[in-house]
Formats: sequence, structure tokens, C-alpha cells
Amino acid sequence: MMDFSIYGDDSNALIRFDPRTKLFIFLACGVTSLYTYSGLYILLFAGAVCAVLALNGKPITALKAFLIFAVAMYIKETVDHAGSSSSVVVLIVSVLTTLVLYSLPTILSILLIVQTTRISQFLSALTAMHLPVRAVIPVAMLFRFIPTVQDEWNGIRKAMAFRGISLSFGSVLRHPGKTIEYVLVPLLFSTIGVMEELAAAALARGMDVDVKRSAYEQVRLSGADYIVMLLFAALSAAIVIMVTAKGAEGF
Amino acid sequence: MAKKAITQTTQPSDKKMRTRDLIYAGAFGAIYIVLMLIVVLGTSAIPILYIVAPFTVGVVCATVYELCVLKVHKFGPALILGVLFALVACSGNVLGMALAVLAALAAELIIMMGKYKSKKLFLLSFLAFNLNMVCPYTMLYFHRDEFMARSVSFYGQAFADELAKYAINGLAFIQIALALVGAAVGVLIASRLIRKHFERANIV
Repeated sequence: MMDFSIYGDDSNALIRFDPRTKLFIFLACGVTSLYTYSGLYILLFAGAVCAVLALNGKPITALKAFLIFAVAMYIKETVDHAGSSSSVVVLIVSVLTTLVLYSLPTILSILLIVQTTRISQFLSALTAMHLPVRAVIPVAMLFRFIPTVQDEWNGIRKAMAFRGISLSFGSVLRHPGKTIEYVLVPLLFSTIGVMEELAAAALARGMDVDVKRSAYEQVRLSGADYIVMLLFAALSAAIVIMVTAKGAEGF
Repeated sequence: MAKKAITQTTQPSDKKMRTRDLIYAGAFGAIYIVLMLIVVLGTSAIPILYIVAPFTVGVVCATVYELCVLKVHKFGPALILGVLFALVACSGNVLGMALAVLAALAAELIIMMGKYKSKKLFLLSFLAFNLNMVCPYTMLYFHRDEFMARSVSFYGQAFADELAKYAINGLAFIQIALALVGAAVGVLIASRLIRKHFERANIV
């Protein structure tokens, strides 16, 4: 059965945040991801992203992500304070935890956009920002298409397993050229099919007309949206100012 | 009016990007970014592979880029791909973002030189486009000391020492060369795959 909820579902949401708020959180994550080592502040930041995700109807994903983040942070702190032993294990653990700390907030903010926003909401929110159509459609498509790529990729992996083609690290290393062909060709063929259907659907809904479109979807920034945007602006400003004021040694 | 718009999209001589082309560009952008993230995050635990990411991404992602520009055949798809890339990969790094968009613009100009007919220039344009993979590292070149200090507290001393070994002053040129070589290998793979699969299926 096809899982429709991967294309955005906020029916369980306590507060439905505006897509613009979610985009703002995405940009804030991009700025703060360079300052991941700022200790407790970044934990607070990740907690805030998880809280927004939970309020928007994905409490279980949010809880899991926050636990992963906290555990990674704890491991990193213990490894960093364990002394200056530079064994390979310490190196790998330290890098892996940092990778989690670095990428998790951004991935969560993308999840927030992808999993809780329907494309029509996203389109009307971007149009309400008075962006030109040429900017609106590619950005909306980018977020709409990430779950599609994921979905097709899962199917291809299953098909490869049926045919006995392994995707383990070793086999990728031994046959890099073949792996690229085995993965890319079916992925591109199936996604191009989806693209053509989406383009036909867009034409059928009159996306190609040069007049201003009205939208069935009502988008309005509520008080909660303003509070969340202010909170994230304050948090990222605090992180950036703290780091630049103290210098990199301060932590 | 709607009727006119629909007939316009079906005419290949139409030079402006229409909705259909914008949808293609956005969707290919999603594929490109997902593959790039898989390659970069999958290899960055080893410092040397983190540095050669422009090469690996060039090899893997060339086919996606080529299909995108060959499918749309107008001014715009490479630029949109570049902007989406900059938005995800270089956010928080304004200089890197600007350079990534410039690289995409250069790719567009190369395609334009071939008047959207020369297949060789379509293929060649990826060499310029793949230079955007160097842009997330701009912080490393211009603020080397700051970056090293950061990665000590960020990745730990051991990783930073390892990184410092490779972060020699000529790194920018090495990475540009890596990006070009990666793009060249990727383009060879792409043209083979396109000839073998996508042209036969009438996709491009």
C-alpha cells in the first residue's frame, strides 16, 4: 500500500505552523550548523526544533531525534574529556558523533518541511511571500521530491536484493562504476516518470497560466508563528554572538 | 489564455522556462542533493575522503546534471540546480553561496555558447558546474586558522591534526583540480549511460 503520509500530513498537529515559519527554521539551522560545538546552547536549539516538530504532529520522530542528539552529545563530551589519547577508535567515535550533531538539526528541519507540509500549503505560502513563480516552483519541487527519491530508492534496493546485487561497502568499493550504473539508471528512469506525471498534473491545475492564481489553501501567520520565529532568531543570534565573542577556545 | 500557454510549452523553440521545465529543474535538484548528501556524509568520517568529496560527488552526480540540462534544453536549469545546491550545502556561508551560484552561471554560459545544440558543450558545462563542490570549503581557504581552531573543538584534536596534514596552502588548487577531474570522469560515465539507456528510451 502506498504511504500517503510521507508527502506531508499534519492532521495530528496541536499547532499548525505556517510553511514560512518552517523555512525560517531551516535557514536558522543552516546558520547555526557551523557552530555545533557551542555546548548546551546547541542542545537547546535542537530541543526547540524537536519541540516544533512534536507540536506539528510528529511527537515520536521528535522524541527519537532528540534522544539521538542528546546521546551523541553525551558521548562526545565524555570522549573529549577522557584525555588526549588519539587512538583510531576515539577519532572515529568523535567524528561520527560530531557528524550527528552537525547534520541532525538541518535534517530535522528538512523533515519538518517535508513530513508536515502539503505541497499546496507550501505553494500558497511561498506565493504569499511575493516570490516569482520561477523561484516558487523549483523550491517547492525540491521539498516535494525528496520523499519521492527516498521511496524509489527503497524500491530499487529491494529489487537489487532480489537479483542478488549487494550494496555493501565492500562491493561498492570493488565495483564503483557498476554500482553507479545499477543505482542511477533505475532511479533516474523511475523519477523521470514521476516528474512527467507531476508536470501533467500541474498543467491540468492551470499552473502554467500567466494570471495571478487564487488558492483554496488559506495561509496566515498566527501568533504562535511569530513567537517561534522570534525564539529561533534569538537562539541563533545568541549562539553566533557567544561563539564569535569567546573565540573558538572558549568551549 | 490557458490554451495558448499549453501550446507554448509543447513547442521546443520556446526559449523561456515554463512550468514543466521548472518542475524538472526542481525535481532533478532534489535527486542531485540527496545523492550529494549520501556521498558526502557517507565518506566524511575519513579525513582524506572529506577533502576529495568534490571528486566523488562529480563522478556520481554528473549523470543527474546532464539529464537535467539535456531534458530542459533552455537557459535556466543549471542555474536553478546551482541555487538549490547553494541553499542546502552552503547556507551560513555567504561567500561560498555566491561562488556556487557563479559556477552554475558559468555552466549556463558554456551551454549558451553551443546555442543549446552542441552536445559536447552540454557535457563540458558540468566541469564548470562541479566547481560548486569546492565552495563549501571556502571557509577552509580564507580563514584557515579560524577553521583549524574550530575543527579542534568540533572534531577533536586528532581529526584536526589529520586534517591539517592535508590542509596545505595549495589546497584550493588541489580541490579545484579534483573537482575538474571528478567532473571529467563523471561526464564520461554520464555520456556512456545516456547513450546506452536514456537515448534509447527517448528520454533526452
